[in-house]
Amino acid sequence: MERIRRNPTPPPLAERLSFWGFVIAGLVVSVIFLMPVVWSLANSFKPAAEALAHPAALFSKSFSLENYRRLEGVGAGWVVYATNSVLIALGTVVLTILVSVPAGYGFSKFRFPGQSLLFVIVMATMMIPFQSILTPLFLILKFLRLQNSLTGLVLIYVTFQLPFSIFMMRNAFDAVPRALIEAARIDGASQATILRRIMLPIALPGVATVAMFAFLNSWNEFLAALIFLSDQNKFTLPIMLVNVSSGIYGIIDWGALQAGIAVTMLPCILLFLALQRYYVRGLTAGAVK
Amino acid sequence: MAKLELRDVVKSYGIYEAVRGIDLEIEDKEFVVFVGPSGCGKSTTLRMIAGLEHVTAGEIVIGGQVVNRLGPGKRDIAMVFQNYALYPHMSVRENISFCLEQQRLPKAEIDTRIARAAETLHIEELLDRRPGQLSGGQRQRVAMGRAIVRNPKVFLFDEPLSNLDAKLRVQMRTEIKRLHQILPTTTVYVTHDQVEAMTMADRVVVMKDGLIEQVGRPQELYHRPASRFVAGFIGSPSMNFLDGRLEQGAEGLGVRLADGTRLAVPPARAAAYAAGAGQPVVLGIRPEALSIRNDRPGFSPLDAAVDLVEPLGPSTMVYFTHGGASLCASIDPEAAPQAGRMLPLSVNMNQMHLFDAVTGRALAQAG
Ligand SMILES: Nc1ncnc2c1ncn2[C@@H]1O[C@H](COP(=O)(O)OP(=O)(O)OP(=O)(O)O)[C@@H](O)[C@H]1O
Ligand SMILES: [Mg+2]
Repeated sequence: MERIRRNPTPPPLAERLSFWGFVIAGLVVSVIFLMPVVWSLANSFKPAAEALAHPAALFSKSFSLENYRRLEGVGAGWVVYATNSVLIALGTVVLTILVSVPAGYGFSKFRFPGQSLLFVIVMATMMIPFQSILTPLFLILKFLRLQNSLTGLVLIYVTFQLPFSIFMMRNAFDAVPRALIEAARIDGASQATILRRIMLPIALPGVATVAMFAFLNSWNEFLAALIFLSDQNKFTLPIMLVNVSSGIYGIIDWGALQAGIAVTMLPCILLFLALQRYYVRGLTAGAVK
Repeated sequence: MAKLELRDVVKSYGIYEAVRGIDLEIEDKEFVVFVGPSGCGKSTTLRMIAGLEHVTAGEIVIGGQVVNRLGPGKRDIAMVFQNYALYPHMSVRENISFCLEQQRLPKAEIDTRIARAAETLHIEELLDRRPGQLSGGQRQRVAMGRAIVRNPKVFLFDEPLSNLDAKLRVQMRTEIKRLHQILPTTTVYVTHDQVEAMTMADRVVVMKDGLIEQVGRPQELYHRPASRFVAGFIGSPSMNFLDGRLEQGAEGLGVRLADGTRLAVPPARAAAYAAGAGQPVVLGIRPEALSIRNDRPGFSPLDAAVDLVEPLGPSTMVYFTHGGASLCASIDPEAAPQAGRMLPLSVNMNQMHLFDAVTGRALAQAG
């Protein structure tokens, strides 16, 4: 099969122009989107005096970790809050995946009585506004002795994450054709092998999407964290940010706030970049074919 | 290498019987094609042989062993699916080796087997690609590679060519036959395309409504269809059917059509049909048995009002009506008439078929 072209003819001018037009438009849009991120990061490394300097310079010659050190002084210190946030986010991600993957598999590949009704009920919970059930949630957590605890908060986040996640996973498994499973059975694979080697790899974009949303939503969530956590040591990053910005004596420490924002934002960006390949495929799975 | 037996196999979904009792013995190394209209239970039968569907009643025997209770992986069969069912996240090599890994074969053995299968199917260059990077025909080859690499007792094919375009289909058809000659293995092949059935099969099984209508070699089905259904299903363009009555008159046995035309049954065949005299029948005539008017022995005249003429090259199809029925004749292009004309034709009654008007069974096996 010697069909590889060695000297491809250059594409026509119009095609090249539209390619470069596309590149330039892409660059402009990226700059618009990247600017606030870069700005926050740059500001977080400026010494306090320069942060408010006028005219504002994007980058300063004096690099300083002062803002981060001052963030240490806020409440229990940013490391504690970041750790709490990480624990909650990871807990939410793991639990959400552990429940939604088998649930989605069940809804997708098995038929049982009451299936559609059950699915509709699960989906319908998405329509309940969170604020409207704050009081009952609080009472339930209190009854379970889980108020003011990270575990309690994780359970709440997982509950609210599940309808979407189950829906995603059902779609992801629906996209795996039945014939593939049958082919694997004929090939002599066991149920466990089929799930591990055939189903999960194909449904992986779905899993990544579910993980990503669970992470972002629990990482950024503010209201529930504010209401259900009362202990200074259990606060999460969003609550810390509010504490920083409301200032200690009414004076807002902009430098520390920028540092806090940088700390909060970075994991989201990294995760998004790491998973985006899967994530886009996960959202469009089942759209074609 | 095994004989495959179906013993009165039944499959029901709730109260609906998709397969209503199939009895069949398939010899070792035989290539059997199941053919029939959509929904007649071909795939269901094949899937029961594969172990993908439970058998409601009856027995499936592979190589002398009843396999009803064995899972698909334990039956030592290989199946090629209509849409190939290749694992999209694995390379071609991994697709082919997957079943060998499940059998825990040593790595060296797996490698030699893959190399041999790839060579047989000319897919050596494709081994490191993903299925998504292959054309339809290439995927088809890979799917066959996955089947042959394990050296199964039985090959099962479920309409493997129906996703390919017409030209590739013909090419892959010969490919599969060639493969069967190199690696003679008991094969069950399902299709609804009677041309595939005729060209590939050692024996054809014609199914209808969950039952076997007739089993036989392709030529047998063509020349001696057991029923009107088989006669109409096998052969392209399909057989013409005319309602009539079998009559014993002064000139001997003949078929009187609804419009009064009488077609004489040749003396050589009269004895076989004499018992049915007086009964309403359906006369079956293949397009090839119609020709321009002549008076050779055994030919009977029939007048045709030509509707449409279709030149195919070696022959010309003439679509015409006679006594309200639409018919088709395959005639010599030299004699092709124009549409709208009357055309005097002759029926070669040596090749006609007679079916019971009520049951549709053949009245006697045509010679
Ligand atoms: N899971 C099922 N539940 C209920 N009925 C089914 C099921 N699978 C198949 N059937 C029915 O069984 C009958 C036979 O189906 P089968 O798939 O064997 O047909 P087929 O001969 O392969 O047709 P085709 O040429 O269209 O593939 C059909 O009437 C079909 O509706
Ligand atoms: Mg079928």
